Amino acid sequence: MTAPTGPLVAVCLRVTDLRPEVDRLTGAVRRDPLGVGLTPADAAALELGLRLAETWSARVVALTAGPSSVDPVLREVLALGVAVVRVPDGGEDDGHGYTAELAGDEGGLARTLAAALAPFGPPDLVLCGDRSADRGTGALPAYLAHELGAAQALGLVSLSAGDPAAGRHLVGERRLDAGWRERLRIPLPAVCSVEAAGVRLRRAPLTGVLDAADRPVPVNRSLPVAAATGPGAGSGGAAVHLGGSRPFTPRPRVLPPPAGDDPRRRLLALTGALAAHDPPTVVAPADAAGAADVLLAFLARHGYLPEADGDAR
Amino acid sequence: MAEVTEVDAVVVGAGPAGSAAALALARAGRSVVLLERGPFPGSKNVYGGVVYGRVLDGIVPRWWEEVPVERWVVRRSTMLVTPTQSLSVDYRSAAWGEAPYNGMTTLRCHFDAWLAAKATDAGARLVTSTVATGLVRDGTGRVVGVRTDRAGAEVHAPVVIACDGVNSFLAKEAGLLPPAAASHHTLGVKEVLDLPAGAINERFGVQDHEGVDVEILGCTRDIPGGGFLYTNADTVSIGVVVALPQLAASGVRPEELVADLRDHPGIAPLLRGASLREYAAHLIPEGGYDTMPELVSDGLLIAGDAGAMTLAAGLWLEGVNFAIGSGDAAGRAAAGALAAGDCSAAGLASYRADLEGQFVLADHKRLRKAPALVLSERVQQRYPGLLCDLAEGMFTVTNPTPKPGGLRLTRQVAAGHGVRLRQLAGDTLRGLRIFG
Ligand SMILES: Cc1cc2nc3c(=O)[nH]c(=O)nc-3n(C[C@H](O)[C@H](O)[C@H](O)COP(=O)(O)OP(=O)(O)OC[C@H]3O[C@@H](n4cnc5c(N)ncnc54)[C@H](O)[C@@H]3O)c2cc1C
Repeated sequence: MTAPTGPLVAVCLRVTDLRPEVDRLTGAVRRDPLGVGLTPADAAALELGLRLAETWSARVVALTAGPSSVDPVLREVLALGVAVVRVPDGGEDDGHGYTAELAGDEGGLARTLAAALAPFGPPDLVLCGDRSADRGTGALPAYLAHELGAAQALGLVSLSAGDPAAGRHLVGERRLDAGWRERLRIPLPAVCSVEAAGVRLRRAPLTGVLDAADRPVPVNRSLPVAAATGPGAGSGGAAVHLGGSRPFTPRPRVLPPPAGDDPRRRLLALTGALAAHDPPTVVAPADAAGAADVLLAFLARHGYLPEADGDAR
Repeated sequence: MAEVTEVDAVVVGAGPAGSAAALALARAGRSVVLLERGPFPGSKNVYGGVVYGRVLDGIVPRWWEEVPVERWVVRRSTMLVTPTQSLSVDYRSAAWGEAPYNGMTTLRCHFDAWLAAKATDAGARLVTSTVATGLVRDGTGRVVGVRTDRAGAEVHAPVVIACDGVNSFLAKEAGLLPPAAASHHTLGVKEVLDLPAGAINERFGVQDHEGVDVEILGCTRDIPGGGFLYTNADTVSIGVVVALPQLAASGVRPEELVADLRDHPGIAPLLRGASLREYAAHLIPEGGYDTMPELVSDGLLIAGDAGAMTLAAGLWLEGVNFAIGSGDAAGRAAAGALAAGDCSAAGLASYRADLEGQFVLADHKRLRKAPALVLSERVQQRYPGLLCDLAEGMFTVTNPTPKPGGLRLTRQVAAGHGVRLRQLAGDTLRGLRIFG
C-alpha cells in the first residue's frame, strides 16, 4: 500500500471514564462506559489539530488505544471529518491485550501508536493532551517524539502556525513559574502536548454526526504489542528553539472611549477606580439548600427574578 | 440556508417514549433519527425508581434476561405516616421475584441507554448532545421536521414524534399543550443514598436481587403529595412528590421534606449510616386524563410525558411504562401512515384509537378522578393521622379500662380529626368507584 500524500496532523486521544468511582475503603476503581469522554486537554489537542490542518490543508487522523466501549466518543470525532483508528483492547476485542499490557508501559504504547500511524505516512505534527486522565504521567508524547524522530514541546498553553516566510514551523507558549511564560519556536515534524487552555472543541455538523452513526470505527488489529520501531526512531528531532520568556500579559481588551468633558471623570470611568464593586463570590456550599440559596440570591440581586417571587420559591 | 437531512421520521427525546417510538419505526423498515439533548440517553432523566416491565413483553421478548436491573420488586408497602406514627400495608409476592417479574428498580442512565440501543440496533440513528429547537412547517402550517442547535441544521420528515418529556416545548409550539399550568404538575425531589447491599437486604428483609417499593402518604406537611422509598442494588432512592402551587405558597423547601422523610422514626433506622450520593428534582405531569393535550396533528404525534401520560393515582406512580406504551403506539401509527402515504392528522388518527384500546388511555380514563381524590384535603391532611390513631386505639392495651368498640373508636378518632363518619363513608365510596 502506498502512503497517501500531503501534510498529516495526528492527534492521540485517551478516551476513558472521566468520573470513575473510587471505593473509599479499598481504593478499587469502578469505571462506567457511559462516563467515557475526552478530557478537556485532549479536546483542545483535537481542536488545535483541526485548526492547524486547515491552515496547512493537511489531513487529520485521530488515534486511540482502548476497548470498543469508547467507540461512541470516536464516532463524535469521525463526525468532525477526522479519520480515526482504534487499537483494540484485548479484554473486550480480540485477545491482543494491548491496553492491558501497555498500561504503565508508555514506551510500548508509543511504539504501538507510531506503528498504527505508519499507513498514513509520516506525520508532520502529533498532538496530545498534556496527560491522560487515568494514568496521567504525561510521558507518552515524549516517547512518541523519540519513536518518530520528531521534536517535542510539552505542556503548551497555546500553539499556532509560525510565519511560513520563516519556513514551516509552529509557535507555542508554555507556563513557567511565577506567572511567566516561555515562547517556543517548534520545528517540524513535532510532537506537542497541550493543556486545556484557550480553545474549545467545535461541534460536528448534524450531517457529519448522522454519517458517523452508521459507520464502524476502524480498528487496527494487526499490530504486535511491541510494534515495529518507527522510521526515524531514536534519531531525535530537530531542536526546539526558545524564543524568550516573559511575564504573562493578557491580551489587551479594546474599550470604547469614555464619554464626558471632565478628564478626571473620563479617567475614573475608564479605570472604574472609585466605583463600588461586588467582591467575587465563590459558591461552594456543602449542601443543595445552601447552593440554591446562593444562586437564587444572586439572580434576585441582579434582577433576574421578579420581586414577588423572592420569597415564594 | 440551513443544512437539511431528509428521513421518514424524526423522534425528539431518547427517553422511554422516544426510544420505543424509534424502535417501532426502525423495525417497520423506516429511516428514523432519534434526537437527544443529553450526552447519552438517560443522562438527563430523573424518576423515582420502579419500572413495570409488562409493557416490554411485546417489544423485547424475554427482556428480563438482559435489562439492566438493580432489584426485582417483591415487596410493596403502602405507608401512612404522621410525624410520630406509621401504619403500613405490606404485600410480598414470591412470584414477583421470578420471571416474568412484575416491577424492577433500575437506574435511568442504564435503562434508557439499553432501550435506545434496541432502537439503534434495529437501524434508528441516535444523535446525542443535540437539542431540537423548534418545529419546521410547510406553507400550509403542517409540521415537516425539526430545527436543531447544530448550526441550525434541520431534519425533515413527513412525521415528527415529540417525546421531549414534561412541559414539552414542541407540543407547546404546535399549540397542542397550553402554556404551563402549575396546578397540573407536581415536583418530584429525590435523593439517592449509598447503602451497602448487605444492609439493604437485612433491613428491608430481602435477599439477592429482591427489592422493595414503599409508597408513603402523610409525609409532606400541609402540602398535597406523597413520598417514596425504593431499594436499588447498593443504593436507596428516597423522595417526595408535591403539588406545585401549594409548595410555592408554603415557602417550604422541597429538600426539607425529603429530610423530614429521611428522619421519620419509621424510616430513619432503615437508612442508618447511608450517605448522600446524588440529588435531583423534576416536574411530573400529574393532571391525568382531563389535562392531556391533543395527541395528533398534521405531521406530529405526542407521546409519553410530553402528552401528560404519567399515571399518578395515589396507589400508583407509573410513567415509564406509559411512556413506552405510548411511544410504541406512536411509532407504529407513524409507520402505518408512512406506508399509506398520509401523515396528516387523519392519517395518524389510529394512534389515539390504539391508546384508547390499551392500558395507556384506558387506565387514565378509568382513573381520571383519582388525582383530585388523592390530593384532596381530607385524604392528604386528615386520613393518615386518623388511620394511625385508629390503629393506636385498637392496639393500645388500656387495662383496666375495657377495650373500646370499633365503631365508637372510629367515631371518636374521626371527630378528633374533624371528619364526620358520613364524609368517611362518602370518600370510601368515591374511592371504590374510582379504583374499584
Ligand atoms: C421524582 C419522579 C419520580 C418518578 N417515579 C417514577 C417511577 O418510580 N416509575 C415510573 O414508571 N415513572 C416514574 N416517574 C415518571 C417517569 O419519570 C416519566 O413518566 C417518564 O420518564 C416519561 O418518559 P418520557 O420518555 O415521556 O420522557 P423523559 O423520560 O422525560 O424523556 C424525555 C427525553 O427528551 C429529551 N429532550 C427533551 N427536550 C428535548 C429537545 N428539545 N431536544 C432533544 N431532546 C430533548 C430529554 O433529555 C429526555 O431524554 C417519576 C418521575 C419523577 C420526576
